[in-house]
Amino acid sequence: MGFKFKGEGASTRGRAFLTFSPRSFLPAIPFLLIFGYFFLFPISRLIYVAFLSNENTLTFSNFVTAFQEPYRTGFINSIRIGLFSAGITAIPGAIAAYFIETRGPSKLRRTIAVMSGVLANTGGVPLAFMFTAAIGLQGQLTKALKAAGWDIYSGHFSLGTFTGLLIVYLYFQLPLMVIVFSPAIVSLRTEWIEAARNLGANQFNYWIRIGVPLLFPSFIASFLLLFASGFSAYATANALTVGNLPLTPLQIGGLLDGNVSAQQLNLGKALGVVMILISAMAVVPYLVIQRRAAKWQQR
Amino acid sequence: MKRRIDIPLVATLSVLGFFVFIPMLSAFEFSIRTPLKGGYGWDQYIWAVTEEDFMHYILRSGWLAAVTVVITLLILVPTLTWLHLSQSKIRPLIDGLSLLPLVIPVVAFAVGAQISFPEFMQNTVLELPFLYFVLALPYAYRSLDIGLSSIPLKTLTEAARSTGANWLKTITAVIIPVIRGAVMATVALTFALSLGEYTLTVLLHWDTFPTWVTYVAQENLLGAIAISMMSLIIPFLVLTGLTLLAPERSAQRRK
Repeated sequence: MGFKFKGEGASTRGRAFLTFSPRSFLPAIPFLLIFGYFFLFPISRLIYVAFLSNENTLTFSNFVTAFQEPYRTGFINSIRIGLFSAGITAIPGAIAAYFIETRGPSKLRRTIAVMSGVLANTGGVPLAFMFTAAIGLQGQLTKALKAAGWDIYSGHFSLGTFTGLLIVYLYFQLPLMVIVFSPAIVSLRTEWIEAARNLGANQFNYWIRIGVPLLFPSFIASFLLLFASGFSAYATANALTVGNLPLTPLQIGGLLDGNVSAQQLNLGKALGVVMILISAMAVVPYLVIQRRAAKWQQR
Repeated sequence: MKRRIDIPLVATLSVLGFFVFIPMLSAFEFSIRTPLKGGYGWDQYIWAVTEEDFMHYILRSGWLAAVTVVITLLILVPTLTWLHLSQSKIRPLIDGLSLLPLVIPVVAFAVGAQISFPEFMQNTVLELPFLYFVLALPYAYRSLDIGLSSIPLKTLTEAARSTGANWLKTITAVIIPVIRGAVMATVALTFALSLGEYTLTVLLHWDTFPTWVTYVAQENLLGAIAISMMSLIIPFLVLTGLTLLAPERSAQRRK
C-alpha cells in the first residue's frame, strides 16, 4: 500500500508516477534511527576514516601499510585459521548433526541444541582455561598422553601457537556447525527416501542422487559461516597468545588500545575495513545460499 | 519404551562427549583443588561468590542484558508487526539490514563505535545495550519474524482492533502472548549474548562480568577457573531447564 500508481487519465504531473506516502515508512523510523545511528553510522565512519591520513587528507597509504608486514602475515594467519578450523569441523559436524537429528529422541535433540548454543558462544578466558587445563603444560590430557608414551610438548607445541589455537577453535566451531547445518537435515523428508526406494534406489543411490545434492549448498553455506567465525574470533586468541602470533583481530585490538603504536593513526581502521571485506566474501554468499535453500526447507 | 541401542547415534554422542567434556572436566578438576590443604574442596567457588566484585559485576551484566532485551523487544515487535501487516515495500530493505551485523567482524565494529560516538555517550555504560542490540539483531529479528509468520496475524489484530483495543493493547495483550514461544527464544538469546559479550566490551574499555574474569585470573587463577566454570554451567542448566519445560517447537509452529 506504500506506492500508489495512478494510471492513465492523471492530469497532474506527479500523479502519473509512483508516490511515496509517509504511512508506508513512518512506523519503521524507530528501527531505522537506532540501527542507523548505532550500526550504519559507525561502520560508514570507519570506512571513511580508513582513507584519512594523519593530516586528515584523503589517502590510500593506510591500505598500503595494511598489506605489508607484519599485517600481511596477520591476514594470512587469520584466513588460514578460519579455513582450517572450518575445514576440520565441517564434515564431522555435518555427520553429527545428521545422526542427532535423524536418530535422536526429541529431548536429546533439544538438550543438544541448547548445549551447542552455549558451547558455540564460549570463548575468551573460560575457553582458554579449559584447554590449558586439558592440554596445557600441566594439563590432564597432556599427563595422560605422556604416561601413554606421547609427550605433546616434546616439539614446538604450545597453546599459543597456530596449531594450539586451531585446536582450541575447534571447540566452538564444531557446535556452530551442528547449529547451522541441522535445519537442512531436519527438512530432508522421509517421503524422498521412500520415493527413491520405490523407484529402486538403494541407500547409496539415494545419497549420491538426492541427499548430497540437496544438502551440499547448505553445507557450503555453513562452511562459509564457520570460516567467518574463525577468521574474526578475538577473545580466545587474545586470552591464549602473548603477541607471538600475528592475527588481524589482535593487531586491530592492539592498535585500538594504543599498546602498539603505528606511524599512521588510522591504520587500525584500514585493517578493519579489509577484515569486513574478507568477512563479507564469506557471509554474503552464506546468506544468499540460506535464502535460496529456505525455499525448499519450508514445510 | 523399548529402544534398541542405536550404534551410530551412540558413537556420535560418545565422540562429541569426549571432545566437549575432557576440557571441561579438566578445568573443573583444577577449580576444586585446594592447594594449601591438599585434596579437593569447594573453596574456590565459595571464595568467588563471597568476593565483593562478583555480585557487583553479575548485577551489572544482568541489568545491561535486561536493558538490551527491553530495547530489542520495544523496537522489533512493533516494527515487525507493522511490516507483516502492511506488506510495505521497504520490508526487503529492513530484512536485509537486520542481517548486516553478521557481515561485520565485532573487532571492526568496535573500532567504528570508538571513533563515532560523542564523548558523553562513550562515558555512559548505557551505550553497550544499544550495541548489544545490534549484535543480537540478526538472530532476534529472525526469531520474531518466524514467530509472526506462523500466526494469523491479520485476523488477530482485526479482531482486537474491532473489539476496541488500541495498538499498544493489541501488541501487549494479543500479539506477544500468541507468539510467546518466539518472544521467549528472543529474550533468552539476546540475554545470553549480552551477558557473555566480551570483545566489544573490552575493546571499548568497559568492565562487565566476562571481562572481570580476566582480571581475577591475574590474582587468583584457580578462583578465575571456578568463575569460568560457573559462567558456563549455570546458563547451560537454566537454558536446558527452560527448553525441556517449554512446549515443543513443532507444535507451536503448526498453523
